Amino acid sequence: MATREIEPVVLDLNRLENLAESGYYNPYSMFDWPDTIEPGLPWMSESLTTLAGTEMWDELTREQQIALTKYEAINFFSLNIHGIRELLNEVVMRIHERTYADVSEFLHHFIGEENEHMWFFAQFCLRYGGRLYPAQPTLKADSVEHLSPVARELIVFARILIFEEIVDYYNAHMATDQSLPHIAREINRVHHQDESRHVAFGRMIFTNLLAQVSRRDPDEVPAVAEYLENYLQYSIATLYNPAAYRDADIPDALALRRRALEHPARAEAHEQVLKRTRKFLSKAGVGRELIK
Amino acid sequence: MTTEPMQAVREFIVGRNPALDHLSDDLDLIDSRAINSLAFVEFIFLLEELTGEPIDPEDLDLDDFRTLSALNARFFKEEAAR
Repeated sequence: MATREIEPVVLDLNRLENLAESGYYNPYSMFDWPDTIEPGLPWMSESLTTLAGTEMWDELTREQQIALTKYEAINFFSLNIHGIRELLNEVVMRIHERTYADVSEFLHHFIGEENEHMWFFAQFCLRYGGRLYPAQPTLKADSVEHLSPVARELIVFARILIFEEIVDYYNAHMATDQSLPHIAREINRVHHQDESRHVAFGRMIFTNLLAQVSRRDPDEVPAVAEYLENYLQYSIATLYNPAAYRDADIPDALALRRRALEHPARAEAHEQVLKRTRKFLSKAGVGRELIK
Repeated sequence: MTTEPMQAVREFIVGRNPALDHLSDDLDLIDSRAINSLAFVEFIFLLEELTGEPIDPEDLDLDDFRTLSALNARFFKEEAAR
């Protein structure tokens, strides 16, 4: 929670608030949910699966490939759902704090929209996949206890921003992928549209809080950079879910996951996914080059 | 995978904590942040791979993960006795 050590966050959000109001839609009635997904179509872009570009993908039968797109789509949407639950928790608790009084109006839009995203992601998973994948196990002991209160506050919003930027890379691609079923494309498109405002807000609040960290103790910035780099790596690794490999009937899921994560083609794919975020962090003065 | 599972566990921890000069069997891995919440998922997957048994994320006892001794007792002792 914010403390008195954190200065009020004042941002010019008029444009984003106007866009949220003018672009408001009813998520509960806007999607035309088909009874089933057409058989034989990939549920997520093949080029975005965790085995894409490797011999491990080529070695799969076509049935396994399609099954992998299905279960990785369910995993991707499940990660979205768990990520949204985490961020809603944080934002709801701050919405009427003095620190955030000036941005409270936008936070109301943010919470409302995120709740709606969580609903349509879950609809997709439950209607067509019959399940969500459970959240990853976490340690109650946190990995930011060594940081100052203001840096921890920055980390809260940085996690939200990083999560949204990574997701948006996938959404932006799948929004126009004609090989996907219409409903999968639509969900990615609608999410991408809302997230562009959330990412813009996220970058503004990140910049404000980073400046506060830096003013208080510039020596703390490399520690923040190190956490953020770890969080980027962690976020990418959550896309590689052994349960999805097992469900796609691919043997030796854990060894496959390890091989895939270490594969040079995947390292290059990770660079592409994280490129925009890394560029932003470096420009903000908290990129991985600072890590000692 | 390494043939000696506890060696693989040590390598995982040291690999993620290059500044750690001595990894004793009773170092509290969680309080010392040698395994933090970002590394925890990877660590669970490593243990699953080494033991060949799934670990239910909803049925974790943190004390099983606190020290190398506890990890050895919980995950590898029974196997060795079999």
